[in-house]
Amino acid sequence: MTETPDLGAPRIWVLIEQDAGQVHPVSWELLGAARRLASELDGEATCVEAVLPGYGVRHLAAEAFRYGASRVYLLEDPVLALYRNLPYALGVSRLAQTYRPEILLIGATTLGRDLASTIATQLETGLTADCTELTIDPKLRILAATRPTFGGNLMATILCRKHRPQMATVRPRVLPLPEALPRGATGEILAVELDLREADLPVRRLRLIPGAERLNLEHAQVIVAGGRGLGGPDGLTLLRQLADLLGGIVAVTRPLVDAGWISADHQVGQTGKTVRPKLYIAAGISGAVQHRVGMGDANLILAINRDPEAPIFQIAHLGIVGDLHEVIPELIRQLQTLRAGDSP
Amino acid sequence: MTPNHRCDAIVVGAGPAGVAAAITMAKGGLKVCLIERGRLPGAKNLFGGVLYPHALAEVIPDYAERHPPFERPVTEQGYWLLSPDSVVRIMHKSVHYKTAPTGAYTALRARFDAWFAEQAVQAGVLLITKTTVTEVVRDARGRALGVATDRPEGLVQAPILVIAEGVNNLLTQSLGLAKGDLPPRYVALSVKEVLALPAAEIEARFGLAGADEGVAIDIFGDATLGLPGTAFIYTDAKAISIGVGLLLEELIVHNLKPYEILARFKAHPVVRPYLAGATVLEYGAHLIPEQGYDRMPDLVGDGVLIAGDAAAMVDAVHREGSNLAMTAGRMAGETALEAHRRGDFSAAFLRAYRTKLEESFVLKDLKQYRRMTDFLDSTPHVIGTYVDFMNEAALRYFTAQGMPKREMEGEILGLLRGRRSFFGIAHDMMKLLRGLRG
Amino acid sequence: MHTIVAIKQVPDTTHVRIDPETGTLIREGVPAVINPYDRHALEMAIRLKERFGGTVTVLTMGPPKAAEALVECVEQGADRAILLSDRKFGGADTLATAYVIAHAIAAIQVEDPADLLLFGKQAIDGDTAQVGPGVATRLAVPLITYAMRIESLDPATRTAIIHRRIEQGIEVLETTLPALLTVEKEIATIARAPLPNLVRAAHYRPETWDATTPVPFDPARIGIKGSATIVSKAFTPPRKEPGERMSVAESGLTRVVGQALQRLVTAGVLSSAPATAPRDESNA
Ligand SMILES: Cc1cc2nc3c(=O)[nH]c(=O)nc-3n(C[C@H](O)[C@H](O)[C@H](O)COP(=O)(O)OP(=O)(O)OC[C@H]3O[C@@H](n4cnc5c(N)ncnc54)[C@H](O)[C@@H]3O)c2cc1C
Ligand SMILES: Cc1cc2nc3c(=O)[nH]c(=O)nc-3n(C[C@H](O)[C@H](O)[C@H](O)COP(=O)(O)OP(=O)(O)OC[C@H]3O[C@@H](n4cnc5c(N)ncnc54)[C@H](O)[C@@H]3O)c2cc1C
Ligand SMILES: Nc1ncnc2c1ncn2[C@@H]1O[C@H](COP(=O)(O)O)[C@@H](O)[C@H]1O
Repeated sequence: MTETPDLGAPRIWVLIEQDAGQVHPVSWELLGAARRLASELDGEATCVEAVLPGYGVRHLAAEAFRYGASRVYLLEDPVLALYRNLPYALGVSRLAQTYRPEILLIGATTLGRDLASTIATQLETGLTADCTELTIDPKLRILAATRPTFGGNLMATILCRKHRPQMATVRPRVLPLPEALPRGATGEILAVELDLREADLPVRRLRLIPGAERLNLEHAQVIVAGGRGLGGPDGLTLLRQLADLLGGIVAVTRPLVDAGWISADHQVGQTGKTVRPKLYIAAGISGAVQHRVGMGDANLILAINRDPEAPIFQIAHLGIVGDLHEVIPELIRQLQTLRAGDSP
Repeated sequence: MTPNHRCDAIVVGAGPAGVAAAITMAKGGLKVCLIERGRLPGAKNLFGGVLYPHALAEVIPDYAERHPPFERPVTEQGYWLLSPDSVVRIMHKSVHYKTAPTGAYTALRARFDAWFAEQAVQAGVLLITKTTVTEVVRDARGRALGVATDRPEGLVQAPILVIAEGVNNLLTQSLGLAKGDLPPRYVALSVKEVLALPAAEIEARFGLAGADEGVAIDIFGDATLGLPGTAFIYTDAKAISIGVGLLLEELIVHNLKPYEILARFKAHPVVRPYLAGATVLEYGAHLIPEQGYDRMPDLVGDGVLIAGDAAAMVDAVHREGSNLAMTAGRMAGETALEAHRRGDFSAAFLRAYRTKLEESFVLKDLKQYRRMTDFLDSTPHVIGTYVDFMNEAALRYFTAQGMPKREMEGEILGLLRGRRSFFGIAHDMMKLLRGLRG
Repeated sequence: MHTIVAIKQVPDTTHVRIDPETGTLIREGVPAVINPYDRHALEMAIRLKERFGGTVTVLTMGPPKAAEALVECVEQGADRAILLSDRKFGGADTLATAYVIAHAIAAIQVEDPADLLLFGKQAIDGDTAQVGPGVATRLAVPLITYAMRIESLDPATRTAIIHRRIEQGIEVLETTLPALLTVEKEIATIARAPLPNLVRAAHYRPETWDATTPVPFDPARIGIKGSATIVSKAFTPPRKEPGERMSVAESGLTRVVGQALQRLVTAGVLSSAPATAPRDESNA
């Protein structure tokens, strides 16, 4: 890092997360948010820039430009070929110490959560994890990061007044995927040397045991979700029947995962997945804020709950007050009749 | 037995009986190990809610300075005779309740038991929670040596054991001191809810002047569908305790679900207004041993003393149990202390415990009401019949304007005879008297 | 082998209830428990002690009540427990929390260097998952998050092989020791503690450290002062205009379900659109 940087314009940085040359879409979602924040700040004066660590990833810079980055800091080094906490964190932190971005956004993925906190500590700055909304505080002109707070049905807006950069992580699918600019959009690539040797690094990857086919809840079009109201694992069978009929995927609230009825990758919400399906059926789900932040952006929410006061009805487009053990079988029955009448 | 822990005395169960025994022995200088299966003492316990501090005072004389978590002092108590549509109330309220040295307080077990056990810990008792005693370990001659628990390396040794395991007295049975499970005709099942309500609201509804007044009501008649059993309503500081209890046998014979009976009771036109707007804080069910004096387990074995519900020390007529349990626990503790002094833990020596109990109210009261359960069991209709009669009679009596009073009185008597023959009534009265006199 | 485990006392979220009127959390009567992941971290430490000998130290930063949680750790098998408790520590964000814990661990290590530091993958009250990485970074020890298995560990060569869960599968890493792991529940299954542990815990009083003794903490880096973030406002999420609602009790099951299906069809969210709407058979 020999170059003397021009610190003139304030910068918003987004970390581009990639694995074997595949960019995680959350990075583009964040670039979209960064552009919106920049214009909220002061229109054209703020730069939206991307930090791209890895090895053999230069070609990805073009994509970053299409999603609105004006400059890409390219951190390429063999020690960055696979993600590891220390070299990635050192690389980004040193860069940030040189170029002093105002804001640094990172996806709240496994990698991002591992990395963000380390960078924040190295830079002695504040980090707000798992935000559901990012805006600019109109008075203070700084980042206002909103996330659900512990337990209560409360959202908290968190500020980082004195320390820089202001850091936040956001889960995949919480923010909309922006439109990409047409091919050919360009910007500046700034390649930065990383002064690290493999021998100095304490952790080495020996191998990867590939996981089973991942459940793609995040991109499902139809989700049939159930909560504690299912009453027991049997309720899940009912849910699956309906999901099969609708060509959808089963999702659940956290207590069901905690109870061990189903694996964690089916969980929707603050600590689970964020989804944006066309149809979200919420059966026996009360609608706690931690669940709502994961599914509130579904196009059509149908809630089934026997308690007319359940908070889920506040966000449902369509609500059925009734016992799910009656309503779902009836739904299945009528759907089957419908389908039977459908195919001659 | 190669024990993993040794002490002078083991107490099984941190209810009122067990804690009283543990404190008594610890104050007498013994190393006491008190074992409780719940996460915290009281976590699994439930009772209606009236505590009588006379028994507590004898275990902890300065209990008042230690701020026991009582809910409200009882300044008014009595009975409601409930028919399906009305009630006759027999309530007693007196200024003397406030000055009487030993009164009664409403309490919630989860809080009271935790406090009581904390007093034991302060007295030096070793309290082990989350641990169930699975077996009493005995030598070839049947003398108790200690206990086994459900923990690895869980053997505890002591020359004397106080078993205060409550109504579900598996250990007492395993020692042959109790004869198997209680038959359903001698055990009542109680269900209870604690309903949260602001203090001011409770005081307004029950006519209380403030936080230093409280009501305890026992209810007969329609609350239990006229079957032998009682319901209760007690005022706590910021909640109402409400419950019903029936003999298990009645529940089985009539195929009744206790929660449905409670729901029905809560919806009764007389009861409902008291509960309006209250939210359920907790609910639970618990058994009450009602086999009475004649069917109590043996209270002592070699190296073993039994106290409290485990030995059926419940006076169902006066809904007393915790005070009998505490008194028995204390006496068991005193006896264990004497046994240590003498170095004699034989059943023969420990029989002194039974003698103490016989001289106290515990066995005197239990003896007096020895026939009560049998009476109710053999005359199941009696409560419903008389409660309904009282209510109808009251209605006639208070609405008889314009009718010659003698005619009205005649009608009332006719009401009674329409329900029960003259001999039937005489028979009931005789049995009731015997039930009460013992 | 010396393992240090950081634990946190959190409200038992399975007991959390929401006040229906105000929509806020009812904290009263909600039992406090040890953060579930931390209990598994502690169990792993105990397993390592069984295997290699040595000691297990637990520490927590929290109010005096958090001493209960430490006593429970001693029941489970910890040898030494330290409570970092001082009003001045209060109001800390993860930056300040990680500073306090890192500083305390450094102080413990002066006398008894650690081979391994174990943290939960996250605390269920806030789910930030930041404190473990923050502490590792401050102490400059290797960090492995989401650890789910210790394949091997050798105190002599000071290396370990750790399995870590990531999106693509399970990553097998070799690290030097001491290292800091934040762990998943699979790291170790919790065994029932033996009775002698409970006896020991009954008499055990955790050591309490405040902001100045036995080690001084930098006053500018603890509590609210040392926090980079502040909560500027807390609010209930804005209510949307509630949608259409139907009741089975009022309109009958068949009709309500029929109408709902009709809506889904109109909205075009059903994969195959039917030619005819379902017949309304309800007579309610
Ligand atoms: C830090 C933190 C993170 C969290 N993260 C998440 C998360 O990611 N995802 C998540 O889901 N939760 C999360 N939670 C938990 C969340 O706060 C709620 O506890 C949870 O979402 C409630 O699940 P539920 O709706 O299934 O259960 P409940 O709140 O118990 O609701 C059950 C509902 O079912 C209804 N019902 C019951 N029986 C029937 C029937 N027969 N027919 C119809 N309806 C019926 C009831 O009326 C009730 O409304 C988190 C909590 C915390 C503190
Ligand atoms: C609904 C209801 C209302 C009542 N109302 C009143 C009232 O108003 N006033 C009154 O004075 N009395 C009342 N009682 C009776 C009173 O609650 C009991 O008589 C009293 O609690 C008996 O005390 P105990 O110590 O013998 O037993 P418990 O209080 O039952 O205590 C036994 C303890 O032993 C533990 N335990 C059992 N087995 C084991 C084991 N193997 N290992 C370790 N621990 C074990 C249990 O967890 C429990 O904590 C009521 C009872 C009920 C059910
Ligand atoms: N106050 C604390 N005291 C000790 N350890 C903590 C504290 N807060 C968090 N931790 C540890 O850090 C982990 C992650 O917590 P968090 O970053 O709050 O999600 C927990 O599982 C604990 O191991």
